[in-house]
Amino acid sequence: MTARRVLGSIVMMLVLTLFANAGGKEQLQKYFGDAANKVKATSAASEKREILNASLNTMSKALDIVQALPLLSKNERDGIHRYKSAIQDKQDELAGRNGYVRVADGQLNAFANYIVQDMEQADGTVTIGIVTLLLIIILAVLIL
Amino acid sequence: MLLMSIYCLALSMLLSSCSADLSVQHVTRQAEEGALAVPYSIVCVIHGDGDYFYHDTAGQESKADYDALAGAEMIALQNPHAEVFIFHQLPRRHFLFFFPLHNGEFYYYRNGRLIANESYRRDQEQSNFGSEAALYHRFRMDKQRKMANLFFYCGHEIPEFNGAGYDASYPDRSFTVQDFASGLKEFTRDSERFDIMILSTCFGGTPYTVGTLGSFARFIIASPENLHLSYFDLRSLKRLDLSMQDGDISAFAKRFAHHAFDRLTCDLQTAVSVAVYDVDSVQEFLQSVHGVYSDTLSALKGEIQTSTAVIEHCDCADLPAYVLPTMNEGVDLFYRPARFGRLKNKQSHSGWECWRNIEP
Repeated sequence: MTARRVLGSIVMMLVLTLFANAGGKEQLQKYFGDAANKVKATSAASEKREILNASLNTMSKALDIVQALPLLSKNERDGIHRYKSAIQDKQDELAGRNGYVRVADGQLNAFANYIVQDMEQADGTVTIGIVTLLLIIILAVLIL
Repeated sequence: MLLMSIYCLALSMLLSSCSADLSVQHVTRQAEEGALAVPYSIVCVIHGDGDYFYHDTAGQESKADYDALAGAEMIALQNPHAEVFIFHQLPRRHFLFFFPLHNGEFYYYRNGRLIANESYRRDQEQSNFGSEAALYHRFRMDKQRKMANLFFYCGHEIPEFNGAGYDASYPDRSFTVQDFASGLKEFTRDSERFDIMILSTCFGGTPYTVGTLGSFARFIIASPENLHLSYFDLRSLKRLDLSMQDGDISAFAKRFAHHAFDRLTCDLQTAVSVAVYDVDSVQEFLQSVHGVYSDTLSALKGEIQTSTAVIEHCDCADLPAYVLPTMNEGVDLFYRPARFGRLKNKQSHSGWECWRNIEP
């Protein structure tokens, strides 16, 4: 096992402890909130699109990994399914696939806000357990 | 010796947290003697035991329950002829891992002044506002005739079934619409209904929720669809003595809903829906759909446990069984679709939210 992987594993365990105390879903929303802030901070449409694509793709990969895990509860699987559908819809709309009209360049800031706000509805769809796992995976994708 | 000192410190902190706050009672008696008339009453229950983190459009991070608390305190200060009861329900906490701390904060305002501020322990077993109702009855001015009684709740969607984990720090405890109704009964007891109940939650406008809670309010303001954590704006509740001067509760409810809608549509890209339900006028529709909605809930309770079916909320108008001539009676709806997503072209909504199965 490489030193990088060992370091990444230690970081993951520390982050797991931190996020378990801090509230995993807050960190998940912060993930999209940070992406939206980066989108609004840049003026180039191509850069905005790239930031949105990257954040949605990373989340999508994380969900694929989590969905493959055994021993998830029915509630967690339903939550993942809804979450994946929501992410896929946003990827499709950004790109103009699957019946969507491509988000216009001038609408990318508003679309970034829409992604954040859609995650911040007062319904509490995703269970905390899954959120924690997703965060671990996101970090794994970024670090390893 | 050191262990004994720590034990004594812990015991003294535990005992001090249990003792009655006699200074509050002294202030209360003094305040009663000098109190002006309070023809208006507002009860605010703010749920904070969950994930309430959100961003505003400037990217600033906020906690929805603390924002709601600030809003409630603001309207309490700006209502010189009202008594305002604010309950902030907090997560469970412990001292030294063993000793439970208070998990609720109560504020009582009268004539625009803070009269009492107490920490309290929320119900330990079933969640049904027992502790909150006890504080309410202890402080309210019973003999005052009320021009208007308002009840305001903000939090996550109140589940119609499978309410386990609504309080994040009590994962085994369940809280559903039925528990909410039981709690409201503790507030109203044998007295009249609240004039207006404001549900600042997602999916508050379902036939079951309005039907169940309608026993406790003349008008219910709710969002039939998703509601962003920025909630309904409370500024319309300032100076009730002026805004409700004509005594027209229905008109006031619509103005509140319209204002809340305007504020939400300024900032949000997601769908916005704010409905006013005249409880007496919607009864014919509710009675007509009661059977089919109850059957749906019963089926969903069973399916949730056993099958892989995935369910989602939908506009009742999408389901033929609910499309009746009485569907829109007694409902005033302010609605704007989401600016993105599959439903961005949905230009109307019935004002009622239902359930449907979707493919897993």
